Amino acid sequence: MREKHGAWSALFAEKGATLSKYFLRRVAHRWDAQDLVQEVYLRLLRIEPADAANIRSPEAYLFTVAANLVKEHAVLRQQAPLGSDELEQVVEQLAAPTNLEADMDSDLRTERLGVLIDRLSPKCKAVLIMHYRDEMSYREIAERMKISTSMVKKYVVKGLAACRQRMADYE
Amino acid sequence: MNNSTQFDAARQARRITEQAVSWYIEQQEPLTERQRVAFLGWLRTSPRHVAEYFAVVQMHGDFKAAAALKTLTVEQLVDQAGRDNPVVMFPMVGSAIRKEHVARPGRARRLAMRAGGLAAAVVMAWLGVGYWRDANGLVERSFKGDLAAVRTVTLPDGTLVQLDRDSVIDVHFDGRFRRIEVIKGNALFDVGKDTHRPMLVNVGGHVLQDIGTVFDVKRDASGDTLTVISGRVRVLNAADELKQGGLAALLNADPVADLTTGQQISLNVSGAIVKQPAQVAKVTAWLPSEIRFQHETIGNVARRFNAYTSKPLVIENGSIADERISGIFHADNPQAFAAYLATLPDVRVVEENDRVRIIASNQTDTKVGHL
Repeated sequence: MREKHGAWSALFAEKGATLSKYFLRRVAHRWDAQDLVQEVYLRLLRIEPADAANIRSPEAYLFTVAANLVKEHAVLRQQAPLGSDELEQVVEQLAAPTNLEADMDSDLRTERLGVLIDRLSPKCKAVLIMHYRDEMSYREIAERMKISTSMVKKYVVKGLAACRQRMADYE
Repeated sequence: MNNSTQFDAARQARRITEQAVSWYIEQQEPLTERQRVAFLGWLRTSPRHVAEYFAVVQMHGDFKAAAALKTLTVEQLVDQAGRDNPVVMFPMVGSAIRKEHVARPGRARRLAMRAGGLAAAVVMAWLGVGYWRDANGLVERSFKGDLAAVRTVTLPDGTLVQLDRDSVIDVHFDGRFRRIEVIKGNALFDVGKDTHRPMLVNVGGHVLQDIGTVFDVKRDASGDTLTVISGRVRVLNAADELKQGGLAALLNADPVADLTTGQQISLNVSGAIVKQPAQVAKVTAWLPSEIRFQHETIGNVARRFNAYTSKPLVIENGSIADERISGIFHADNPQAFAAYLATLPDVRVVEENDRVRIIASNQTDTKVGHL
């Protein structure tokens, strides 16, 4: 689904979602992910109001800020700076607010997520699986389920939020 | 109260997650300038927003792989979704309850005994409703608690009564008043709305006048205890009715006490009255620790939770309240039920100081309305 995110910078759009153990080993324990989030946040706060309106893609901006911070940090630590290949890994790193989760195997995360999907309401579950497994569009799902496309979107949001909330319980 | 702080934290976390997911999904199409500013503003509100957004991005990365493991065909999925009676197994219900049982073996044993009886009691209550409706809402009937389990009775005005074992209440509803007398034992009332007929509950020498409330009455050898789980109750002296002639006079008499959420009053045999803050969990410990429901409306299920909490769930939208669901929930965890409701489309959970409102989110709400 990531390819649909047209607003992302090309850099991010091209990357897969694979977790790099190498990267995690190098950064996770030296620089707490929470510190990184905090620093990203502080940089966002520093944006002048006038400039804020000019940021074409706040999401790409967010990730670029994060990636740059990790690069700077690597320089400080006298490590080789990260190449653009590793930007996706930065995302992974940022997304893991605790070391516990950072250490969690991606397979395990997927498995847990699978369990959570089964606990969603049948409608929510149906919509999410059709969208993410069968790559059906909202419109196609809407026709199949005989509901509106805006309803499909709501199920996607509700379902993802419910899964994320329960994944957070594992943290 | 510790409970409500936890509730607050859970609700806030859920809100942030929903906002993060909404924003993430919005990015599938280029944002308008207003949305861009709003999104940036949202990120800048709190580092928690930033962290949660990253977390959602990561989970989304795993989502495709997780969905790919599912073996049900599209036909099967559509078929399951088409049934209007989804079974809600609240997450963790299996493991969490088992742990709970180990921690409280006494309660677990009682629970096992109750399991069958409760279902029977619910069925009986349903049959009763049919009978009463024919009688135009007029009732003259005595109810006795079951031997094996807490009994749930729904009165024709919508009042929900839970009766402990070996408890007895008499119900007299006429055109002007709804009167219930607690003869003995432990009963919990969730009073139905009827603005024309006040609800008066007689407990020994006192009359409790309900003002939109859930409350617990306990009568035993040591005296009478009234606990207001949520809402307000006025306590009147039954003698005033005789002295001054009639119920109207009673209702205008000076109250013995006015109680609000979380307050308790002990009406001792000696006549001494002690008003004190109550531990709601202790007061309702006699109620089943699970809430089981089969094809019941969300409105009714919410009321069953309200017997256990001083922060009642209020379903403000009729069509949400009428939706039927089935499932088993841990009774002392209304936030779990609220969390489940929040996963339904068009449902928003709004936490206020004294209640949790369940409202319909309109079109704009899902996107940026609550940002």
